[in-house]
Amino acid sequence: MNSHLLEWLIMSLFIFCVGIYGLLTRKSGVGLLISLELMINAGALNFISIHRFLYPAQVDAQVFVLFVIAIAAAEVLLALALFMLLIKKQQPVDITQLNHLKH
Amino acid sequence: MVLLPTWMILAIPLLSFIINGLFVRRFSGHLAAKIGTIAIGFNFLFSLALAYYFFQSGELSTLEWHTEWLRFQSNLIIHIGVMIDPLSAMMLVVVNTISFFVHIYSLGYMHDDEGVGRFFSYLSLFTFSMLGLVVAPNLFQMYVFWELVGVSSFLLIGFYYTKPSAVSAAKKAFIVTRFADLGFLIGILLLGYLGLSVNQGQISSVYSPLDFLFLNNPDVGLQLASSGLLTTGLLLIFIGAAGKSALFPLHIWLPDAMEGPTPVSALIHAATMVVAGVYLVARLFPLFNLAPVALEVVSWVGLFTSLFAAVIACTQDDIKRVLAFSTLSQIGYMIFALGVASDLYPLGYTASLFHLFTHAFFKALLFLGAGSIIHAVHTNDVWQMGGLKKYMPITHITFLVAVLSISGIFPFSGFFSKDEILTAALESGHMTHYLVGLFVALLTSFYMGRIYFLTFWGQSRSHENASHHPHESTWVMTLPLVLLAILALSSGWLPFANYLWFAHKHDHHSLNMTVAFSGTLAAIIGLSSAWFLYSKNNFSKVQKIQTGMGQAYQIIKAKFYFDELYLFVTHKIVFNKIAGPIAWFDKKVVDGGVDLTGEMSQTFGQKLTLIQTGQVQNYIIWFIVGFITVLTLYYNTVL
Amino acid sequence: MIIYLLFFLVAFFSLLAVSSKSLYHSAIYLMGSLSVTAGLYLILEAEFLAGIQVLVYVGGILVLLVFALMLTQSDILVNDQPTFTKKIMAFGVSTSVFALGVWLLSSLHLHSIILPTASSPAPSIKQLGHAFLSVQKNGYILAFEIISVLLLTVLISAIVIAKKEKA
Repeated sequence: MNSHLLEWLIMSLFIFCVGIYGLLTRKSGVGLLISLELMINAGALNFISIHRFLYPAQVDAQVFVLFVIAIAAAEVLLALALFMLLIKKQQPVDITQLNHLKH
Repeated sequence: MVLLPTWMILAIPLLSFIINGLFVRRFSGHLAAKIGTIAIGFNFLFSLALAYYFFQSGELSTLEWHTEWLRFQSNLIIHIGVMIDPLSAMMLVVVNTISFFVHIYSLGYMHDDEGVGRFFSYLSLFTFSMLGLVVAPNLFQMYVFWELVGVSSFLLIGFYYTKPSAVSAAKKAFIVTRFADLGFLIGILLLGYLGLSVNQGQISSVYSPLDFLFLNNPDVGLQLASSGLLTTGLLLIFIGAAGKSALFPLHIWLPDAMEGPTPVSALIHAATMVVAGVYLVARLFPLFNLAPVALEVVSWVGLFTSLFAAVIACTQDDIKRVLAFSTLSQIGYMIFALGVASDLYPLGYTASLFHLFTHAFFKALLFLGAGSIIHAVHTNDVWQMGGLKKYMPITHITFLVAVLSISGIFPFSGFFSKDEILTAALESGHMTHYLVGLFVALLTSFYMGRIYFLTFWGQSRSHENASHHPHESTWVMTLPLVLLAILALSSGWLPFANYLWFAHKHDHHSLNMTVAFSGTLAAIIGLSSAWFLYSKNNFSKVQKIQTGMGQAYQIIKAKFYFDELYLFVTHKIVFNKIAGPIAWFDKKVVDGGVDLTGEMSQTFGQKLTLIQTGQVQNYIIWFIVGFITVLTLYYNTVL
Repeated sequence: MIIYLLFFLVAFFSLLAVSSKSLYHSAIYLMGSLSVTAGLYLILEAEFLAGIQVLVYVGGILVLLVFALMLTQSDILVNDQPTFTKKIMAFGVSTSVFALGVWLLSSLHLHSIILPTASSPAPSIKQLGHAFLSVQKNGYILAFEIISVLLLTVLISAIVIAKKEKA
């Protein structure tokens, strides 16, 4: 069971890039959220893997990842709340329509 | 020197201009008038005291006050300051006296005008500029004030700015003198350049090449003369003098300058500004003396101008125009007197300045008197005046004094000064000058007698209501007339040669009897012909002469068509051929370039706004692209 | 070998998650991806974290996502696929990021770092608990408290934002 750090890092990088693809592709707000979750997950995996290889006896990365999970939860919650507002205005959550920054 | 510092003589009219021009005239024009008059009155007394103390002290020249203004190199420093020497002291007295009398006169003449506050502030500005010119210690300051005088003249000629003829007269005056000043400037630069290469030797190195004390120094003058360019430089400077003093062919602006109010004509175009050219040549006379060619040119230009103007003056109908041509003629006298002088026969120098002195008084008197007449009969045309001697006694007597003075009748002042000029011409061997000058004296007395008789004698030809008689002007206007008349009578007796001389002192009172006799004879012939032709009511003889001369008369009356010639040249040649293409270039190329920059910015900006799509995913793409770019470029630091 | 299998699974699920037409399917694939990641955590001997991942991430957040899907009726948009240009752009961008990352990482020479053996034990849950609540310099008590406050705030604000307006 010998794998080295490079493989793990490339893995998390791959998931991150897949997440970017999804971010740029999805039209729905919830689709964006899904891709975002993927990216966060990749980041957490990165954290843990590096830490485990370099400092195996310490807990810092696990603590961090726990925080990351908590924050991801909060973010999804807020996004949902905002989507609810949009729904109330009878608008489907289509991010291509939300372009008020244009002018 | 006196109780107050000398620069106050400049500061007072300047302050008067600023206070009147910026503040007082908005509330009360009459208050501004009084303030201006009091200020110049103070200046008048101050100048008399200055002159008195200066001439008493016997010094040759003093640099009263100066301060460094510009420093180009260590040997080219321009100072501004006040220099008092015999010439400037005399000019100070003349300028302040005439200005003061004109101020008093204008209190009456301009009383009902709306712009009276503006008028007096301009008068103060003019006085300041002229005084600055007169006391200038170097050519640079003189040039600066020269231009200021031109500006003040422009403002005053165009005082009635709603009249198109006044506006164009002001423009004409300014443009002609400005054009002449180009020559003046080049001459200054040339002299300065020559002066820089002069080895100063024992002269203190405090002076810069444009200082008069430097230029008039004999050692310096000889070195400048040896450079071979002195004549050119002096002729260029003379062009500037010719413009300001309205010598032929730059005389065209002076007759039109009569569009300004009469006190302005009295102050500027009789006594002070137009003699600036004479003053300039006199100032640089030690240099002119070393360039005989330049002096010859000067004398011929002056002589020709005086003859030319005198001939035209005989045919003009507007009283102010006659006086304007008379001024041209008398300035011609002053200039040619300077031209015939040299260090062997320096009388011309004194004679010219003496004539300047006396001419100031009687010409101002003539103009103010004409103003008084115009004020009474509301017209300038002599053919609509007549018989005024019973209605306006004071004006009549003072005007007569001035006419006799300008004709050169003993014991009036004009006799002494004019005779001195003719003597200078005769004694230095300039026979042509002497004879032509004599003829001009005859013409002078003729045309002056003409307008005198037409105005005051005979029957009234006025077109106004017969019961509405002209009346004498108020004491405010007649007082200066009387004072000037006294001066016109007495100033001839001043021993001028004791004060202003060149090379060596000359005994003032030795009259050359030939000259005196022939001069007086010429004057009497002129005056009596005028009496014969114009003092009666029957003008048939005049008509016969006019038709007898035929075409020649018409040409002379039209001032030899010089105005038309200049208009043709400017319109057809300068405007169309030169100014037109330049204007096209300015509009299309220069303005076009500026517009192009503006349009380019606008288009660029519009193209840029296309980036702002409002789409989040676009922004994310840009974000990531930027991130990638930065990382690729700076991967060394990252790793 | 398990590692490579798990790698493959994660990659497979995530790819499906972003490219599937239906959002519901996408959510399910995400769930799969997150679960396999939990398995990866297990290999890295972070057991507690693996548990938390499944409980909180999959069981909480993902369920929330599905709720969001249903509440916002995003299935209206389900059949609108992104345009081809968009796909190309997105593909290009993500591939370049990947390429850049790979290039940077490979120049780091990480070949020497390998998974450690049992000689260095993984941290235990007890250590984790101590780390959370320790007030020493290496403790995370402050962050812990702040996170709790954050969660509370988010809860309240979500309620406030999304509540019904008084009629």
